[in-house]
Formats: sequence, C-alpha cells, structure tokens
Amino acid sequence: MPFVGEILRHRSVSIVGLAKNAGKTECLNYIIRRLPVEYFNVAVTSIGIDGETTDQVTGTAKPEITVREGMFFATSEKHFRQKRPLSELYDVGDEDTALGRVVTAKALQEGKVLLSGPSSGAALKRWMRSLKDFGIDLILIDGALSRLSTASPAISEAMVLSTGAAYSANIRDLVGKTAFVVELIRLPLFTGPEPALRVSSFSSLDPGLLKGNRVIEVEGALTDRLLQMVKNGLGEGEIELVVGDFTKVFCSQELYRAFVRRGGRISVRLKSELIAVCVNPVAPNGIVLDSDILCQELSAKIGLPVYDIVKNEYEI
Amino acid sequence: MKFREIVESPCGIRYLFDELGLQSGYARKVLLDREMMVDPDRIDAAYASLRKYFDLVLSDRRRVEDMRFRLQGLRDISGTLASLAGGATLDEIEFFEIKHLAMLAQSLSMGTELETVIDILDPDGLRIGTFYLYDSYSVALRQLRDAVEQDPDDSQLQEDLANEEDRLKKVISDKLRPYAASLQQTLRELADLDISLAQAIQMHVEGLILPSSGSATTITGMFHPGVRAALRAKGREFQPVDFAFERGVPATVIGANMGGKTVALKTLCMLQYLYQFGFGLPAVSAVMTPFDEIRFCIGDEQDEKTGLSSFAAEMQRIDRAVAVVEKGGKVLLLVDEPARTTNPVEGTALVAALLQRLADKPNLALVMTTHYTVEHAGQCWRVQGLLPGTKGRRMDYRLVRTASHEVPHEALNIARELGIDAQWIDLADTIMKRQYE
Repeated sequence: MPFVGEILRHRSVSIVGLAKNAGKTECLNYIIRRLPVEYFNVAVTSIGIDGETTDQVTGTAKPEITVREGMFFATSEKHFRQKRPLSELYDVGDEDTALGRVVTAKALQEGKVLLSGPSSGAALKRWMRSLKDFGIDLILIDGALSRLSTASPAISEAMVLSTGAAYSANIRDLVGKTAFVVELIRLPLFTGPEPALRVSSFSSLDPGLLKGNRVIEVEGALTDRLLQMVKNGLGEGEIELVVGDFTKVFCSQELYRAFVRRGGRISVRLKSELIAVCVNPVAPNGIVLDSDILCQELSAKIGLPVYDIVKNEYEI
Repeated sequence: MKFREIVESPCGIRYLFDELGLQSGYARKVLLDREMMVDPDRIDAAYASLRKYFDLVLSDRRRVEDMRFRLQGLRDISGTLASLAGGATLDEIEFFEIKHLAMLAQSLSMGTELETVIDILDPDGLRIGTFYLYDSYSVALRQLRDAVEQDPDDSQLQEDLANEEDRLKKVISDKLRPYAASLQQTLRELADLDISLAQAIQMHVEGLILPSSGSATTITGMFHPGVRAALRAKGREFQPVDFAFERGVPATVIGANMGGKTVALKTLCMLQYLYQFGFGLPAVSAVMTPFDEIRFCIGDEQDEKTGLSSFAAEMQRIDRAVAVVEKGGKVLLLVDEPARTTNPVEGTALVAALLQRLADKPNLALVMTTHYTVEHAGQCWRVQGLLPGTKGRRMDYRLVRTASHEVPHEALNIARELGIDAQWIDLADTIMKRQYE
C-alpha cells in the first residue's frame, strides 16, 4: 500500500496535478479507497469548480470522486443536489459562489460526488477551520487544475503530485519538468539572518541596492523578470532570495539554473512535504508513454518512489 | 433613511461600523437595512434594551462571548423561510437550515415555540444539529433504502425511493409551514441580538455612553472615535468638546484654522446618526432630540468625481437642504464653511443671507462653521484657539459661547507655528496692519 501510511501522518494533504488530465482524480480516488476511514475521520473537498463531469477544456470524461461511508465531504449546493449518496448535512456555509454555498456533509453510504468546494484559498482555510467541531483527523484537498497554490504549506501540510503525458509527451522532457517542480517543492527553509531588503516586484527593485544586500525577501511572486534583475545585478558572491513558499516561485528552469550557477540561492519561509509522485502515462490526445520507464527515470531523478496507480492497482 | 445610506457619510460613522464586531453576515445586512428612528419613544426603548446588554457585558462577559460564538452560526435563511411560507416543498438543505436556526435559537434561550419544529426535524430525538431524511420518517423509506442497497442497479427501485423521498419532503414541509412566521421572527431576533451585543461591546471598548432624549441637544465631552484612533496611532489624544444647540436658534462656529471646527461638525453629525440608530454615543453625557431629516453639507472628493466645481457642488447641496427645510419637518442642518471657495466679499454676503433666509424656522436646528464675520440673532461659538506660551499642545480645541461674532485673526500665528516662510508671513502681517489702520 504505497504512501497511504504517509498521508495519515498529516492533518491536511493536497493532491495537485501539473496539467489537466495528469491523473489527479484517479490519484485522489486511489487514496480514498485505501484509507482506513473506519478509524479516521476524513474530509475531502476541492478548490474551485474542479468537479465537472466532463473536463471543460478537452471534453474528456472526468471521473467523480467516490466517497466512502463515514467520510465528510464539502461541495457546492448545486452539485450536492445533483449527485450524492445518502448524506447527513453538517453545515451550509455563509459564502455564496457561482454554484451556491458550500455544503459540508457526511456520507452515510458509499457513493459518487461531484466536488466543488470553497472557491479561493482564503475560503478554503476558513472551511478547514470550521471543521474542527466535527473531529476531523485528515483533510484531503483536490487541487484545482494546474493550480499549485492549493499545495501551499500555508493551506495544507503535505502534498501528492500527479504528473503525466498530458504535461509533456516526451519522457525526458516530462522527467525534467517534473523534477524541476519537485526541486522547487524541496527548496530549503530560510534560516536567517533576517533580510534587510524587501522587494515586491521587479519594478520596485533598485538595482543599486543589490550591491550591499546579500539576502533579499521577495514579497509575493518571484517572477522571471525579478529573478533576471537580481541575477544581472548580482556581481560576485553569494546571494539568497527568500520567498513565502514554493508556490510563489514562477520562474523558468533555465533562468533558475543560471541564477544558481552565479551563486544564487532561494529559500522558503514555509515548506511543504512532498509525500509521493503519481504518473498517468496516457495523454488525452491518445499518446501513451511507457509506464515502467517513466516511473523508473523520474524516480531516479527525484529520489522518491513514483507510482502509476492506474496500471499497477497496488494491493491494499 | 436606512443605515446603508449614511454609512459612507463624510461624518465618518463608517469607523464605528467597521469596528463593530458583528458575528454574522446576516446581522450586518439587517443593520444596513435598518430605518433611522425618529420617534423618541422608540429610540428610548432601543436604548433601554441596549442598556440591558451593556450591563450583561460588564457583569458576565463570559456568557456574552459564548452567545457571540454561537451567533457565528447565524445564516440568512429568509429565502428558505419565504419559500416555506409560500407553499413550496423544501429539500434537505433547506430542512437543515431550519433545524439549525431553531436549535441555535434554543441554545440562546430564544424561540421557545420552535420546540415542535425541532421535533419535526429530529424524529429520533437525537438533538444534534445535523440533518438527513431519517429512515424513521417512514417504514417505506427504510425498506426501499435497504432494497436499493441490495440491488443498486434496479432503476425501478431507485425511482420508488426517489418518489418516497419526495413525498416525505412534502409532508415535512406541510408540517413546518405553520411555523414560517415564527421562524422569520426568530431569525430577525437573532440578528438583532448579534447587533445589540456588538453595540454593547463597542460601548465598552470605545467608552461610549447612553444618551437621554429631550427637546434640545446638550453634549459634553464629545469625541470623534475615528479621528481619536488616528491621533492615538501618532501618540496624541483627542480633546473632547462640549456643545449645545436647539431648534429655532441658528448657531455658528467660528475660530482659527486647524481649530477643529470641521471635526466638531462631523462629530455632531455622527452623534445624531448614532442616536437615531440606537448606538452608544462618543461623549461624556448627551441629551439628544430626534430629527426627521439630517443634512450634512460638507465638500468631499465626490464633487471632483462628478466633475462639478467645489463651489457649484456646495451651492447645490445647500440649495437642496433649504428645500428640505421649506417642507417644514424637523431638520438638523449642519453646514461646513459655506461659500469658502469664493471671494470673501460675496462669500460673507452669501453666508449672512443664508442665515437670514433660514431665520424664523422653528423646526430647523442649524449649525454652521464659517471664517466670515456675520452678525445674526442666534448663538455664536468660538474655538478657544492657540494657547500662548505653552509647549506641546498648542491648540485648545474647546468650543465656548461668545457674544462677539468677530472671527479671530489667528491664521498668521498658526502659519508661523507651522514654520511657513517667515518673509511671506511678515509681509502679510504688514499688509494686514496697513489695511486696519
């Protein structure tokens, strides 16, 4: 039973996909099937409208989430009315979204649900706090399509990453791109001393200031333009950029590598724990990669087990 | 006039609204939709109720915090209750909302007649706040659920189950329908409770008082909470001010620049609104009297957005207020430095004429700040002004009654205190003296 034991060590875990159809939903269903829900109170939700029956962009079928008896789930009023097993209502939220308010219920039998939980990170955090009266041990969050922000350690403690042929149809390229994301997730925690210089965007950065400051706090997103400016004004010696967490880094791999070669380093205020990487070798356009080679190469590159849960259907 | 319409008033009442610790979005909505009270008996009744909650805040803060914590669960289910009253069949989400409301009211010792509602929505007598269509609602329901579980692919069974669920929803809705009005009232009372507790706590936190109602207005030690907070952030204190006015006797406020005339006028306006919406007042003591209309004429940035010159916007604003006064109701008219943007010759004439135009209006209470010397039959108040020789606080903001309507000539002294170019100010001094000799 790969990595499910790891999941139970955390109070909140996000499942995020690097692309649409990267196998995120299968991954979530896999986890749910194997959780000992008889002994743990588990709640599941998604962020945003990621519970459509068909994928809005490619039109491919989007599997629903199967909740098990005794599990809590949160979804919109609209989707709650549309499809669910017999469920006991625990809460109806206060915030209105396009799909109505967020409803929190406990499944009284196993069945399929369409997940469309809180619509923003802040609303998601409020929902997570509201659960504390229900004695929830573990919260699973189905991250929105290609939105890593759900995996921010400010929201969830740990994450499972799903990647696949939908992200790139070339194994080497897919491994390289995925490994870069993993590298960012593993950026080291900032240890001090406190930076004297804070910048919020490239336009507010005075290149002259770089000379005297070797540790710079980046408030908000670290973009290519900002990183480029820092790199160019770097001169000799080490420099450290401090960001909130890995979801704030939006720079290209090439630029990041060039920055590191010049003696640059990025650290984070909050760190997320990466529990596992799952792959889906099938792309929506029909391309199928060799699952075993993909798993092997990615695993070797990131030093973490990689699973194709659909193909292998690991034993419980 | 609803609270919503005055919350952005330039008097700055927004500060107290923002600082009000309401627990539910619904209470916020109810407060914004509240009508301004004009009947002194109603206002006194509102304050009698607020006094009760204020006493509770002082005597049993723990209980108050427990109540406020519960009120976080208050939701606006007026739509659901309207559907119920209108004869609709409700669904599980709506039943949950009703049960949640009834149990919330019960936990706050309110809506005692809702016990039956809870019974209807809690057939197993579990008294927990969750809901689903319980098996015990009908034997058929339980049997069909068992059958569907045995044979999940039988579409006939599924349809039968859905039909039985629909039938039960209608039965439950019909049973609940007689309580729709009672539920509506409870919903409203819970919002009122949330508002009252928040107001009572605000009284404690900001040091607000309960006023009494009378035929004229007499306030001692009034302050502007928003301005006070801004001053405190800079390590300074707000100097409380006394003031009094009555209908039929126009009052002007004169005094040095930066003497707090505008702030005093804003504070008066805010106190009047707070009084007529039943909030605690920022003062040491206050006798207040209600008005049918409160008009506050002050220039604001909105003028620029609408493209009017500040003079045009001001004249039109006062013009509309004069029309309101002509209608004859009880009006409080607060005017900040009318005609200040035009030349002093015509400006003085406009102000003097406005006072004459509004003389002999027994239902009008007029308070006007001005830099112009205008004689009138009413009262004149003057900012104490610069205290000579003292360091630290240089301005005494208190307002005092004065017989002379002659405006003080302190602008040059204040400019010197501000460190403005000395040659300029000395020249102005010379020109002034030449004019007066």
